[in-house]
Amino acid sequence: MEQTPKNLDCRNYAPVDVAKGFCHLRKEIVLADGEACDAFEQLPKCKHCAKYTPGEEAYLGTCAASPTRPMTYPDLIGVTCEWFSWKET
Amino acid sequence: MSKKLYQVLQDSGVPLDYRSCGTPPEETTDREVKREPTPRAGKLRDLYYQTLSSAGNEFPYWYTRKYMELDGEIPVVRRALALKCAFSHLTPTIFPGELIVMGKARYYRGSFPMPWLSEGYYMSKEDELYQAALDKGSSSADEVSKFGSGGGNVVRNFGNVISIAGKFGIRQEEVPAMLRVARAWVGKSVDDVGHKYEQMVPGYDIKEAIMKSVVCMFDSGYTLPQGREVINHYYLLQYGFDGLIVMAQEERAKVAGRADGDGLVGMNRLYNYEAVIHVLEGIQTWVLNYAREARRLEAREEEPVQKEEYRNIAECLEWIAHHPPRTFREAIQLCWIVHVAVLNEDAISGMSPGRLGQVLWPWFQQDIEAGRITEEQVLELLECQRVKFTCLDCFASMGVVGGVLSGNTFNNLSLGGLSWEGAPASNRLEELIIEAAINCVTTQPTLSVLYDDKLPELFLLKAVECVKTGAGYPAFVNNRVAMEFLMHHYGPEDMNLEESRAIAIGGCLETSPCSWMLLTLNGKEYPIPGGSGQPTSVGVHFISLPKILELVLFDGMDLRADLRVFPSHGKRLETYEQLFEQVKTYFARAVEVLSLANNIQHDIWRKNNMAIFNSLLKPDCLERGHLINELGYRYNATHNVETCGTVNLVNSLAALKKLVYEDEEVTLDDLREALRENFGFKTATEVGSYSLVDQEKKGGGDLYDRIHYLCLTAPKYGNDDPYADSILKEWEDWFCAICYEYESLNAWPYYACQISVSTHAPMGAATLATPDGRLAGTTFADASLSAYPGTDRNGPYALFTSATCWDHSKSQNSQMNLKIHPSAIRGAEGARNLLELTRAYMRKGGFHIQYNVVDSRMLRDAQRSPDQYRDLVVRVAGFTQYWVEIGKPIQDEVIARTEYEGV
Repeated sequence: MEQTPKNLDCRNYAPVDVAKGFCHLRKEIVLADGEACDAFEQLPKCKHCAKYTPGEEAYLGTCAASPTRPMTYPDLIGVTCEWFSWKET
Repeated sequence: MSKKLYQVLQDSGVPLDYRSCGTPPEETTDREVKREPTPRAGKLRDLYYQTLSSAGNEFPYWYTRKYMELDGEIPVVRRALALKCAFSHLTPTIFPGELIVMGKARYYRGSFPMPWLSEGYYMSKEDELYQAALDKGSSSADEVSKFGSGGGNVVRNFGNVISIAGKFGIRQEEVPAMLRVARAWVGKSVDDVGHKYEQMVPGYDIKEAIMKSVVCMFDSGYTLPQGREVINHYYLLQYGFDGLIVMAQEERAKVAGRADGDGLVGMNRLYNYEAVIHVLEGIQTWVLNYAREARRLEAREEEPVQKEEYRNIAECLEWIAHHPPRTFREAIQLCWIVHVAVLNEDAISGMSPGRLGQVLWPWFQQDIEAGRITEEQVLELLECQRVKFTCLDCFASMGVVGGVLSGNTFNNLSLGGLSWEGAPASNRLEELIIEAAINCVTTQPTLSVLYDDKLPELFLLKAVECVKTGAGYPAFVNNRVAMEFLMHHYGPEDMNLEESRAIAIGGCLETSPCSWMLLTLNGKEYPIPGGSGQPTSVGVHFISLPKILELVLFDGMDLRADLRVFPSHGKRLETYEQLFEQVKTYFARAVEVLSLANNIQHDIWRKNNMAIFNSLLKPDCLERGHLINELGYRYNATHNVETCGTVNLVNSLAALKKLVYEDEEVTLDDLREALRENFGFKTATEVGSYSLVDQEKKGGGDLYDRIHYLCLTAPKYGNDDPYADSILKEWEDWFCAICYEYESLNAWPYYACQISVSTHAPMGAATLATPDGRLAGTTFADASLSAYPGTDRNGPYALFTSATCWDHSKSQNSQMNLKIHPSAIRGAEGARNLLELTRAYMRKGGFHIQYNVVDSRMLRDAQRSPDQYRDLVVRVAGFTQYWVEIGKPIQDEVIARTEYEGV
């Protein structure tokens, strides 16, 4: 079942710290784990990438962008990743 | 009910909360100078107050991923490519209202671990952290808001946040990857490889015992391999990123395949230039990623002022990512980028921006003249810069961050001093820097005035006005004494008088070698000062002098840890001279074994983890083609021996000399027994606190009252009493000289460094009672020349005479803290008195003095109600820290210091 998106998964969320961040749209501090609003825009993360394969251990996976298929993790942000491409849903 | 220490001292006529030169007003008095920053800086500072110290995994992940791909590559190039990959992949975050942007990590107060230095902590905690990460978290506003006390420290797990060492918070979902990254460095980190080889040092068992018994505090090779130095902004300000890349490419072509007479490292220049290019390109990409983020935000922003600010940020970054800055705004932003980039390259504490007001002067002068900027705008930028500096966190090993640094990062900005020609170097921009520090009191950057009699009175009074805020800065540093130290110590590396005038303070109080560089802006030339020496955070750090004395008294055994540290000396210590000689012998043995092990750790660091970005900034690395590891820096004799607890050692020796050897009031055996029994007090562990004020007598613990009283009333340093002061002089003369008998890995001699940072708390915690009457487990006197709390009873000038009985220019530093009641320096007359007091100490040859302007009653109230004092700062050793972010033992020590009611 698809989980409800959180604020920290949103492109408009600027993380102040591990618990909260600034919402550029609402212009206010919001909790990182708070439920995202209707204007939610997905922040690219490894778990959304076509090259990502989940691993057997929690919070770990692999990246197919490199021939060695290095370890990566689902919540690694992909904004600056040259290999990121959205997974087809 | 058990008697507390303060009651015992009160009964003995030596109360803990001693007040000198008068009595304070009845009501608790606030600091006289209280101002507010601009609304913008105020908002950014308020956001800082609400921010938790947060660690992320992006940088270590990308660094490790790239590094591990490159097995077989030349080490310097391998490291450069790993750094380039890490910088290029950091996620940019910009907050509304920021004028100066970019940070260490994507959080407002972000940092990250560097397991390539040491991964041991994470491996030892692997199971615990992993399980915490798997636990289903919950979160609520209530949980988040519980972390108000303790400042921004994440003191325990909550919601989906895991606490690391009670300081940093990391998101639960990043923990397994962080542990996997750490595991990749097992057997490869500087810590692990260094440990393999340091064990080959003869007497290594002594080194291990020294560390276990906390005679020494930490290994610098893998904890803080760089820092306590002065950054150099010149090359990027003069040439820009593109200019430096072109320069490195041209030099690379010139040296490829050529040894040029240097068969040892001549060929390495090719790889070094290649590494320089990669790192510059990585940082350039990092800057451009922020520019893109600013453009993205600009496109989405509907509010016109904020939209324009994002556009200005983007334009600024897009320009300085390639070219030298044209304006003050671009120059201050570039200096900030340089600073953060250096800090991201390595675990660093005490990277000082140097004489930034003189570095930025060319742009300030030309922009003001051309009407491109106003002083009000400059002031706002400087206040914003203060908040950015305060957001810096250092993620070093846990004992270092908490025990040594109290979470501080020691970005010391120097002011004043002399120009290369010997004229006063203070300027209008420096006055604005002080003004910004008055308006926007924050812990960083701390300020130091390089005091010279030539400096204008108004400039010095401006500095005094800042002191009155209670921020603890600026510290006053004796420019003449510092220059003498530099000339003496770096003379063999061709330091001359003119160059010594470029001095700035690195870290909290480290006299650092600097150089003048000729900057050109719009056809006009400006000699600007900048760092040109290796880190001074390196060497034997810190040796607990009272612990050395304890080991002498107990024949090399640490009774607390039930551990033999040194071989038995087998002496009966029948004379004071024999005792003092044995102190020197054990101390020398400790320095010998620690320096050898330290050299190996740093050698591993420079082979595998060398500074590339910091190196290319420092003269004369780019010219020579050699980085820090091949002594490309202009000054390389920077390794030192640091000590802690000098005043407790001196007071203890004075008590032993007087009570045991001269007056024969107590036998040495009886005194030893009293020390073992903690003068009849419970141990700090039993009391459950290492704080002075909490110590309690045991039931029936009166057996040692007489001895304790004699110890407490024996001669003490800080009273212009030649009895104690002559011991200090003998120690300092010997200590400053003996350091030169040890050789660093750079083949230059060590030298003396005397700051305590926060080590006087943990080192005190590991030390039995001392013959000066101090109880087991409690803090030592702070700094190196501050009197032990309550023992300086003849006023500040007597303290100054005691402190200056030896030549301060023989040491990299000495440190003196005075606590002054706000009412003692009130008004214009009070300001003049404080300046005269400072001047008196400088003229006597004192190296450093700084002031805690505070009413001790306010500190006690802040202990009771920390939530009411989130912004209260105090001065500890050489740094300013938020009251709520320092441990109780240090808080108690600050409260207990003698409070001067008049100056």
